[in-house]
Amino acid sequence: MIEFRGVHKTYDTGVKALKDINIRIDKGDFVFIVGASGAGKSTFLKLIMREEVPSAGEVVVNDYRLSRLKRREIPYLRRTMGIVFQDFRLINKMTVFDNVAFAMRVTGASSRDVRKRVPYILGLVGLQNKARSFPMELSGGEQQRVGLARALVNNPSLIIADEPTGNIDPELSFEIVELLNEINRRGTTILMVTHEHDLVRKFSRRVIKIRDGCVVSDSIGGRAGHELE
Amino acid sequence: MSLSSIRYLLREGFRNLWQNRFMAVASIAVLMSCLLLTGGAYLIFVNINYAFDLVYEQNVVVAFAREELSEEETVALGDKLRSITNVAEVKFVSKEESLQKYSDSIPEATFESLQGENNPLLDTFVVSFEDLSRFDATLAQIEQIPEVDSTRYNGDIAALLTKVRHVVMVVGGWIVGMLLLVSLFIIANTIKLTVYNRRLEIYIMKSVGATDGFIRVPFIIEGMVLGLIAGVLSYAIIYYVYGKLTEMFRFDTMMGLVSFSRIWMVVLIGFLCAGVFVGVFGSAISMGKYLKEEGSAADEK
Repeated sequence: MIEFRGVHKTYDTGVKALKDINIRIDKGDFVFIVGASGAGKSTFLKLIMREEVPSAGEVVVNDYRLSRLKRREIPYLRRTMGIVFQDFRLINKMTVFDNVAFAMRVTGASSRDVRKRVPYILGLVGLQNKARSFPMELSGGEQQRVGLARALVNNPSLIIADEPTGNIDPELSFEIVELLNEINRRGTTILMVTHEHDLVRKFSRRVIKIRDGCVVSDSIGGRAGHELE
Repeated sequence: MSLSSIRYLLREGFRNLWQNRFMAVASIAVLMSCLLLTGGAYLIFVNINYAFDLVYEQNVVVAFAREELSEEETVALGDKLRSITNVAEVKFVSKEESLQKYSDSIPEATFESLQGENNPLLDTFVVSFEDLSRFDATLAQIEQIPEVDSTRYNGDIAALLTKVRHVVMVVGGWIVGMLLLVSLFIIANTIKLTVYNRRLEIYIMKSVGATDGFIRVPFIIEGMVLGLIAGVLSYAIIYYVYGKLTEMFRFDTMMGLVSFSRIWMVVLIGFLCAGVFVGVFGSAISMGKYLKEEGSAADEK
């Protein structure tokens, strides 16, 4: 569950990235975040990940009130979410297996759990046969599925996907979102930032549109719904 | 922390070291020069102290009895000397005994001609003191005794050694201190390079919720191993070089260098501790700064 209450974010440079955001995303939702570059989408995600703190207002993520979160508690907040990046951010000198296992090991998982869990997750994203490959040997779509597997492996209740299809062929983008859809059906909340209107239209889901730091629409399927402006 | 985690962290630490081996060699070299200089200064210090002890042991005043004294008067002089406070021991050495010491070093004919009446030497009293800090005062008392012809002592050697010891301590201390700082910076930079090379991994670790401690450990291990390697290598070098020096300076049984077997443990433990301290502290500095600065690592692209 994510909740923004009267959230403002002004950077030290004076840029007002977000203005009075009030939003609630329930557990199990699938939400597209759309908006032009510089509209405030990135800031929105950074506040959820607690990479930034709001200038005013309160953000609550998975029962953590982020304004009260101590530095040393941040890792535990992040373990409740999985993050998928536009540029995949895979470690090229590690195999697919190790890239996924890495995310488990660094949170202190035992070797036994890693050996059991990683193949299962790779199977889930359809990469069971690529475990020994290196990222550079894979297509963009496959690399992003590794990224997705890594985000999923610690069993988070929330997946944040920051333009996950931005760097892959349009025909493969559909597969990725289909995969997110499947994960969502198992109860995981999905937050996906995207520019691709085709995808948004195809998957008729809740769409939050941000422009100039404000939420300008919040509707199902991205159709007019209730415009706020 | 589980066994798997410990194994994982150790492996990561060694992997860092290997991937960064050129910088690692540089840090080890600098740390080694620092340790070797420290060790060298220490060894000089130990040897000066050793020489100091030897000199103190030999730091006796030889009082010569006037030539014209009768046997009774000579005995009385011995008692007079013993009665002075701060005198620990008085040993009488007759002129015959003194002459005997030279029997090997002068030709036999000459030696024979110096016997009896012709003995040019004087009866002597070898006086040792209880408290060497009152050396001058006690010496003055001895010299005031009318039956004492003259005295001989080597207090100036003690003074010289005191001066040398002081200089070695001050100069050595400064050099060692500066070198420690330099090694600290070099190690910190090596680690910073590793951190920079692995910023993507660190970012991923942060984003999946690894704690700062967990992220830090492999880098601390890297620093520690750097320090240990430098410590062991420095020890090996000191061991070899000092061994050679001991052989070179073995004049006789009395003078010479302190045997390495008496100080090896101090040197080894000192080197290992200093190496590990600099290594760990150096990496802690660069990691601490990195984790704070990149606390969010937001735009890591």
